Amino acid sequence: MVERFLEGWSVYKENLIGKIGLILLVIFALMALCSFFPPMIDPMYHPMTGVDPLISHSTSPSWRHWLGTDFIGRDIFCQLLAGARIAFMVGISAAFMSILLGTAIGMIAGYSGKIVDTLLMRLADMIMVMPTLLVVLILSSLFGQLNIWTIVLLIALFRWPGVSRVIRAQTLSLKERPFIEAAKVAGASHFRIIFRHIMPNVLPLSLLYMTFRVTSAIIIEAALAFLGFGDPSTVSWGMMLQWVWKTGHMFQAPYWLLPPGICISLLTLSFYMLGRAMEEVLDPRLRKEVAQE
Amino acid sequence: MKRKLLLFFQIFIILFLPLSCGKQHDYRFLKIGLHEEPKTLNIWLASDANSKKILSLIYQPLYLRDPETLNLVPWLADGEPKYHPDTISYTVRLKPAKWSDGSDVTSKDVAFTAAIIKEFRVPRYYSSWKFIKKIETPDNHTVRFYLEKPKAIFLTRTLTSSIVSTKEWSDIAQAARTKQKPLIALINHKIEKPMGCGPFVIKKWHRGTYVHLQKNRYFFGLGQDIGGRILGPYVNDLLFKVYGTADVAVLALKKGSIDMFLWGIQPGYIDDLKRQKNIRIFYSKKSAVYFMGFNLRSLPFSDVSLRRAIAVLVDKEFIISRILQNYGTRMDSIVPPGNKYWFCSDVPRYGEGMDRDDRIKTAYHILQKVGYTWEIPPVDGSGRVVPGKGIRLPNGQLMEKFTILTPPADYDPLRAMSGMMIQEWLRAFGMPALSRPMAFGALLTQIKGRHEFDAFILGYGRLSMDPDYLRNFFLSANDKERGWNMSGYKNPEFDHLAEKSTSEMNQELRKKLIFKMQKIIMRDVPYIPIYDPALIEAVRKDTFTGWVETLDGIGNLWSFCLVKPNDTTSQ
Amino acid sequence: MEIRKFVCKRLIEIFVIFFVILTVLFLLFRLAPGDPVTRMVDPTMTPEDAAHLIAQLGLDQPIWLQYIYYLKNFFTGNFGISFHYGVAVLSIILNRLPNTILLFSTSILLSAFAGIFLGKIASWHKGKKTDTWMTLGALICHTLFLPWLALIMIWIFGFHVGWFPLNGMITPEIWLDSSSGFWLKFLDIAHHMVLPLATLFLIHFGSYLLLMRSSMLDTLKEDYILTARAKGLTEKVIRNHHAAPNAALPVVTSVGISLAFSLSGGALTETVFSWPGIGRELVFAVSNSDYPLAQASFLLIATVVLISNLVVDVLYAYLDPRIKY
Repeated sequence: MVERFLEGWSVYKENLIGKIGLILLVIFALMALCSFFPPMIDPMYHPMTGVDPLISHSTSPSWRHWLGTDFIGRDIFCQLLAGARIAFMVGISAAFMSILLGTAIGMIAGYSGKIVDTLLMRLADMIMVMPTLLVVLILSSLFGQLNIWTIVLLIALFRWPGVSRVIRAQTLSLKERPFIEAAKVAGASHFRIIFRHIMPNVLPLSLLYMTFRVTSAIIIEAALAFLGFGDPSTVSWGMMLQWVWKTGHMFQAPYWLLPPGICISLLTLSFYMLGRAMEEVLDPRLRKEVAQE
Repeated sequence: MKRKLLLFFQIFIILFLPLSCGKQHDYRFLKIGLHEEPKTLNIWLASDANSKKILSLIYQPLYLRDPETLNLVPWLADGEPKYHPDTISYTVRLKPAKWSDGSDVTSKDVAFTAAIIKEFRVPRYYSSWKFIKKIETPDNHTVRFYLEKPKAIFLTRTLTSSIVSTKEWSDIAQAARTKQKPLIALINHKIEKPMGCGPFVIKKWHRGTYVHLQKNRYFFGLGQDIGGRILGPYVNDLLFKVYGTADVAVLALKKGSIDMFLWGIQPGYIDDLKRQKNIRIFYSKKSAVYFMGFNLRSLPFSDVSLRRAIAVLVDKEFIISRILQNYGTRMDSIVPPGNKYWFCSDVPRYGEGMDRDDRIKTAYHILQKVGYTWEIPPVDGSGRVVPGKGIRLPNGQLMEKFTILTPPADYDPLRAMSGMMIQEWLRAFGMPALSRPMAFGALLTQIKGRHEFDAFILGYGRLSMDPDYLRNFFLSANDKERGWNMSGYKNPEFDHLAEKSTSEMNQELRKKLIFKMQKIIMRDVPYIPIYDPALIEAVRKDTFTGWVETLDGIGNLWSFCLVKPNDTTSQ
Repeated sequence: MEIRKFVCKRLIEIFVIFFVILTVLFLLFRLAPGDPVTRMVDPTMTPEDAAHLIAQLGLDQPIWLQYIYYLKNFFTGNFGISFHYGVAVLSIILNRLPNTILLFSTSILLSAFAGIFLGKIASWHKGKKTDTWMTLGALICHTLFLPWLALIMIWIFGFHVGWFPLNGMITPEIWLDSSSGFWLKFLDIAHHMVLPLATLFLIHFGSYLLLMRSSMLDTLKEDYILTARAKGLTEKVIRNHHAAPNAALPVVTSVGISLAFSLSGGALTETVFSWPGIGRELVFAVSNSDYPLAQASFLLIATVVLISNLVVDVLYAYLDPRIKY
């Protein structure tokens, strides 16, 4: 396993896009980690409830507040850091859950074949067809303000079909391989075959798709928050944009408007770049291309 | 390929440039921006502000409030209503007036309006008309209302209610009667061109984008002196343009695409608007109350001392200066201070002028006296203020976590934010508070329908001038499912005063009762009134003048009858 | 013919999916907390009035009875009366649908064509500066946050530069002037469409570009390309007439797959630009608890996605002779 990782890493290093993506990701991860510090320095730096006792309206950047303050005097930079933390949390959890679900269902469908396969894939079709944002929108508006974890769960529930198709295809081709035949002859149970033999081979593909799932999860949460259906006790970048918009500072406070939007885009971009680079690592055919040039 | 692209761009610019230059400013058109599309032109269905506003330019009431004094002024009526105590009846004479098709407005139309409202029990109107026993129409211009018993709201609500024409509605009502669900048939009937006797009539409603109105030449007030003002309207065309979002509407105002924006403007825009040469900003008071309410039916908020302590802890100045950016007034009674006649200023003003430490100390003393204890008291032995923890009720129980429900931030950022701050202040005091925004429909069901809540922050944005709502909110009999007594307040002394106030026809005596009621409520604080937001509106100075300021803003009927183009070369 | 059987099978599937969505929607809307009547009530409405209104709206019937009526109404084309607007839902949807179709289909066609065209060029110059810039540009555009981009477009082009209207679909002054001709009205709509179209285009063309690029690179390695080269055809002819049409096929399918995503983006765009389409209506209906309208809007969107997927599959079958059903 370790050799495969190191081998992959050496390929990855060559890829410019991958490198940029990784650097950006590290920057954001650092931001997320740093988000815990400001409130410890001074309670006025708390992203949600920390107001500056001297400033009660939106101000532009200063030494006291590196990105200025929002409309009731809260520090925007701290909100940005907290937003990074939320973005990672939402993105990775939602992606992880949907990959878990998608991989499991994909493997089971591919391995079982016949009715189970058809049923599961029909289900996948049905769910894939739904515009996730609109579905979560309807649900969140009906059931009241949703809690952030509920949002994560909902996103995961609607994003697994894409993964499952790919995993199923992979499983189908693996199913016919000799080592699976051997395992069956040896008397291994279906369960064992799936998780001991098939899973390790589909896992790299799962991980690849996870990066793409992260981007969509982040965007959906941001769009929800922007429209006003997010979790109001979490300071996410989408929520920050909603505040700028709804309090009428959209066109007056570029220091408040630009950072969250740029961050969403850059974080999404970095995951995407990571995914593309990983694709090259995992898909030897693409690598050969590089060698040719 | 490149050349083709270049050609395409050239054509593009040529075609679109004239469109973007915009038409020359047409002074006949008064352009008003709307925040949301009006729902309907059917007056019985119109529950949203925009529909009501447009219909108020068409259907007219018998009496209208003077913008300055807020007294009732005869509008469709001619002269004051005459009261006959022996028969508990009122006689009202009508001005000569015509409907927009030229036919006369008669007393029969008034009787018809009442009949239709009573027969179908039309929501929002029924309560203002149901106590009218019968209506006589001795001649075409005289109406006599017989009441079951004296009702103070007859003068303030019934007489200010819109009158509709028999001609327009009798066939519709007839058809509705035959349906399985008559009321729904009535309110869902599609009205394209409502027939009223007001200053304007509908020319066209292009759904989703605009409503175009034109001057009604049959308007009874045209050129007349009513309430000391010579009425127009002085504009030929009204164009209501629908803007989805407030910030685009404000941009449109700056650009000149609209002359006025009919919606409150968030404080965030003010600095920028103040710098515009051609924009004038109006600040009006609203007849509104935004408050924190409690559920008195169970612990912990059944204890009045706890409610008083919280009233002290809520920093109203903070909310007004930061969350409202100073565009609002502090409220200490349920009746807003702008309602000068009915507002009682002699009520306890909890926490006024205190800083954070004083508040905590005062609240601490209130609660300590009646037996509350803490794991870590917010005021330590030497009198210093520290973060409190683990408050216990007098019976020794640990106070359970409670939720403060608020509307969602996109619906009202002010209330949602206030809830968040109050949560923090209470937590610093040792109370396990949690502020929770909830979708508005669900919120109301929880609070009004199921009475399943601890505390909430709600508001009434358009309180009527008549303070009858005070009775509605706190009458014991109204403590039922969907009833207006949301807090569960039960006080026989208050009930007695409230009942008396509905039938007291003498204004001065009624005022004394209303004052007493306010004092009782503010002593018991089932609701903590917090703020009355100022209404901030913006108009273009260079195009039209003559906006009339009154409670609830400049977009009132008087303004539309009086604004004139601000141009010496107007056509 | 094989295709006919395929289409029939898919139509049946679509119907089943539709039915399931219908039922799920019904259950969700009925079981959710909060109902529209509470929104229609104000201080002057007594509890009796409210009860009266609920009875009239039919919200007090047992759930299974409501379901029967619901299905019956639905298949007779009666989508109910909107709680908010008070008119038949069908009339509102029919009014808004053309607007969405106009904006949406134009943006998809534009981005797909541009993506294919530019992707082809990018693969041409693989490894060189043109390719790098195009790829980077596509990536960056694709990851921009749509509502944020929309607002910035309005601010810069609608306000500061002033060439385009701030929002909406038409200019009232032009439309209420009876002397305005058809051509002027047509131009007016086009004028309003530029910004939303540009926003949607920027977000979507990137993925098509990247897909086309990698597809072209794959296709250029195929055997028949070698054959064509051996035959002596010029590179240009090979790329444009042999490789590109085949390389474009995966892009066509991906249009179908990404439709759901595009529709979400469409709803966001419509909301920010106040474009009176189905997406925006859905967002409004949902925040107003207007069940009939929200339900019908969502179903319509789902139907559009399902049918579009079918169309894309059939198109693909026609275009690619290798596919057998």
